[in-house]
Amino acid sequence: MEMKRRLSTDVPMRLVGTIVMLALAIVMIMPFLWMISTSLKTPAEVFQYPIKWFPSNPTWEHHIKVWSGSKSFGTYYLNSLKISIIGMLGATFLSAFAAYGFARIEFKGRGALFMVYLSMMMIPPQVLFVPKFIMFEWAGIYNTHLALILPGLFTIFGVFMLRQFFMTIPNEISESAFIDGAGHFRIFFRLILPLAKPALATLAIIDFSWQWNDYENALVFLIDESLYTVPLGLQNFILENMIDYNGMMAAASAGILPMIVVFVLGQRFIIQGLTNSAVKG
Amino acid sequence: MNNNWMKRQRLLGYVFIGPSMLGVLLFFLIPAAYSFYLMFTNYKFMNPTVRFVGFDNITRLLHDPMFYLSLRKTMLFLMAVPVSIAFGFVTAVILNQRLYLKKLLRGLYFMPYITSGVAVAFVWMLMFQPRQGPINGLLRSIGIDNPPGWLSTTTTSMYAIDIIWVWFLLGYNMIIYLAALQEVSTELLEAAKIDGAKRGQVLRKIIWPLVSPTTFLLLITGLIMTIKSFGIIQAMTQGGPGNSTTILSLYVYQNAFRYYEMGYASTISWALFLIILVITVLQWIGQKKWVHY
Amino acid sequence: MKKKSWIAGMTTLVLAMGVMAGCSGNGNNVKSSSSAGGSDAGASPSASTPVKSGDTIKLKMWGGVPPEAGPQTVIDAWNKDHSDIQIEYVRYVNDDEGNLKLDTAMMTGQDVDLYVNYTMSHASKRVESGFAVDLSQFSDYNIDEKMGADAASWKINDKYYGMPTTKSAFFVALNKDALDAASLPVPKEWTWDELREYAKKLKSGDDYGFIQNTEPYVDPLDSVLSQQGYTKADGTSNLDDPGVKKWLETLNAMMTVDKTTPPLGEQLTSKMPVEQMFLSGEAPMLNIGAWLLRSSNNFTDYPRDFKIAFAPVPRLTDNAADYVTRGGLGDYTSINAKSKNQQAAWEFLKWYADGGMAPMAAGGRIPASKDADEEAALESLLGDKGDTYDRDSLMYVMFDNKTPTFVRSVPQEVVDLRSQEYEKYFLGAQSLDQTLAAMTSRHNEFLKKK
Repeated sequence: MEMKRRLSTDVPMRLVGTIVMLALAIVMIMPFLWMISTSLKTPAEVFQYPIKWFPSNPTWEHHIKVWSGSKSFGTYYLNSLKISIIGMLGATFLSAFAAYGFARIEFKGRGALFMVYLSMMMIPPQVLFVPKFIMFEWAGIYNTHLALILPGLFTIFGVFMLRQFFMTIPNEISESAFIDGAGHFRIFFRLILPLAKPALATLAIIDFSWQWNDYENALVFLIDESLYTVPLGLQNFILENMIDYNGMMAAASAGILPMIVVFVLGQRFIIQGLTNSAVKG
Repeated sequence: MNNNWMKRQRLLGYVFIGPSMLGVLLFFLIPAAYSFYLMFTNYKFMNPTVRFVGFDNITRLLHDPMFYLSLRKTMLFLMAVPVSIAFGFVTAVILNQRLYLKKLLRGLYFMPYITSGVAVAFVWMLMFQPRQGPINGLLRSIGIDNPPGWLSTTTTSMYAIDIIWVWFLLGYNMIIYLAALQEVSTELLEAAKIDGAKRGQVLRKIIWPLVSPTTFLLLITGLIMTIKSFGIIQAMTQGGPGNSTTILSLYVYQNAFRYYEMGYASTISWALFLIILVITVLQWIGQKKWVHY
Repeated sequence: MKKKSWIAGMTTLVLAMGVMAGCSGNGNNVKSSSSAGGSDAGASPSASTPVKSGDTIKLKMWGGVPPEAGPQTVIDAWNKDHSDIQIEYVRYVNDDEGNLKLDTAMMTGQDVDLYVNYTMSHASKRVESGFAVDLSQFSDYNIDEKMGADAASWKINDKYYGMPTTKSAFFVALNKDALDAASLPVPKEWTWDELREYAKKLKSGDDYGFIQNTEPYVDPLDSVLSQQGYTKADGTSNLDDPGVKKWLETLNAMMTVDKTTPPLGEQLTSKMPVEQMFLSGEAPMLNIGAWLLRSSNNFTDYPRDFKIAFAPVPRLTDNAADYVTRGGLGDYTSINAKSKNQQAAWEFLKWYADGGMAPMAAGGRIPASKDADEEAALESLLGDKGDTYDRDSLMYVMFDNKTPTFVRSVPQEVVDLRSQEYEKYFLGAQSLDQTLAAMTSRHNEFLKKK
């Protein structure tokens, strides 16, 4: 009886909820839809009012242009993948490491150090460019991928975010392990990391999208076209007095794919985390 | 267990934060120190002539009406953050429930965060277009005869940007909340249900306090991120019309990369830094009242 | 992987410390030498270019035009005939960030041998910082003589730190068919009041009679101020010149009273594609420059069924005698003072200016040198669409109009503060007097700072 009533109210509720959320989602993906449709339009259709969501004569020519010729996006794509993947993995791991230190080990000066940390997040990046670029030039990594990869390994946001998550994991868990003689390394790798999978995956997703979309650092620190990343490649579509929106959107929509892949993969971990935390109770 | 071991374990703290600390030192602290030094010079980018000017830049800042104007604009911009967090929370809670197509929906709500900035700027410009745009079309159809000019007037442009920013941050807030919600144990929720707690009560009394460290995180990082962001404004209005959307970070950008006034840009940055610091410290103090670890 | 980056990180740290120290020291040292105004640091070019036979010199030229719009053809043509000097073209986007990129590249001593400046504001920053060679060092080419009187606007401290290579024509493009239908002649000189009348007569329904590209928007202002001076005799701002007021009033009346031109707010927020509006026949008059020809020759994307005629940009003053118009020369090409191959760069630059650049004409860049083939450039400019233009008026605005010209030379800061204030006026957020007062007081602040 109880069971039955729940089912009968549940299904329509789920359906209504799903439909409402889907309808609202349209607003969220509007620019994305525009990207796709613009990549299939003719130049004159771009500015047509009201917005033309379905091109009257879809053409793939812009997509073909993006991937062919001397300025193919293939190289940019591989460069971006290399930088973003290394950056994402490195940053997630290093952040977790530091976050554990800040969240679960009581050492001297912890609070002060954390404040220094946080405060560094508050500096507007524009003014860090000049010193960074003097430094990179000196170190000989200006105009190499290292100029993006090395700084990309560190994210203060990541440390802060994971710290917040680690702090919510009940202390009893590590305390009992501690009593059993496990050190911090073992607790970190065996207990905390598995428990924090959803948070780690989330950080990885966000960090990847940052690295993938990073335009300003790439612009200032890379000169050779063979080193260009996708956001830099998009600049090729800025012509002298106008923008080739069709080509740009064709390239940009392909540029979204890796982020979607990372998101879907990351989601898996978030779901896995669900079972973990159920165990934890 | 011996005391020495305990002590060593505690020292491990430095090992854990060491690697990351080194990066922060290299890529943040040292450059920051250099920009602090620039604050007292007239350094113009490229130009090898650097002169020490003492507190000139600071005096100039205090007398710069554009600084105060952009400060006000920044405050208006920041309003978007708590609003977006609230929406993000609600969205995450809904998408954490039994819905169909849950995975797809989560992906869709995260889309704004990864869509190309140019597309975002373009579409919102069209949406807000005062005469023919769909938003004003809708407003007119529900009987508002004089809908706002949005991005085309100096009085409304910042609010239009706020709306876009709420929209943009929503996906980010949502996925971090989603991760946090995975930690809220299902048993706890079931227990509450059996106790006869209403949905709203569960949300307010159980879930909200449980995710408060996340809310705190989102509030701090959201404010910091927002205060530093200008990309979307640069893409849409370049600070205009007039100077109605020139927020502080954009003003820094203009001084640094448009006028090459690195000394002055550093000065504004440090002012900006101070402002964020004060906001953050206030929140840090305030957190004891509402954040439960 | 991880371990390796540690070592790299450590090294960087140590090095960085050194940089910090080195850098501040450096700043003090250079102080004395650069006050002279620039680029003498470049040493003598002849000494630095040992052209050994058999060695191929590789040069990099940075420019803002997309390679496929002309530069690649130009470079290929040169490279084919000059095996000893090979040029590579690097494109930078001519916006804030693109210019920053070029400047960063020069600062770090990357290979930048030649580069094109598009505004006086950028050029003078580079000259001040010592990144441009004073071209008077080369005695085998007389810029004044080759490029004509207009070249002088590009002198910085009385010297050429670059070569202006193109004629930049700015004009009002007219829909000839619409003018004929309203029996309006194509003007050879006119005032803004006259243009306003034209716009009223040509306007049909809700469409506009006159539209503008945002780039030449403020040209009338600079036209007046380049004559009257940006500052008054006492050194204070002259942004309250009657001409400025006249411009604000005229344009505002066209927006709000006549409704013959789009209100600024609408133009800014709808990303109004003015070229497309003109070419589709929606608006009959467009204030633009020679780059229009690239789109107007492209019938695939912009089909068009009318003839285009050209008129000079109107003047604010009644008296035609003291009018100057924007234009003159552009694409100010400099040789990097840090380049190791200045002599080779100079050889290329001469060839480029004297007609090597002809393929760029298709995009509206007509060579300025008197040695370049005008007819060939014109052919390339018009392509196979020659008969869709009114040839006489085109020749007039491109070559025959002898109105003196100016090059916008006001600093970016002033351009920006001006536009911020007049935007507020056009949007109705402040009155005319407030606008003039705000412009002058902000300009005065700026002047004081200098």
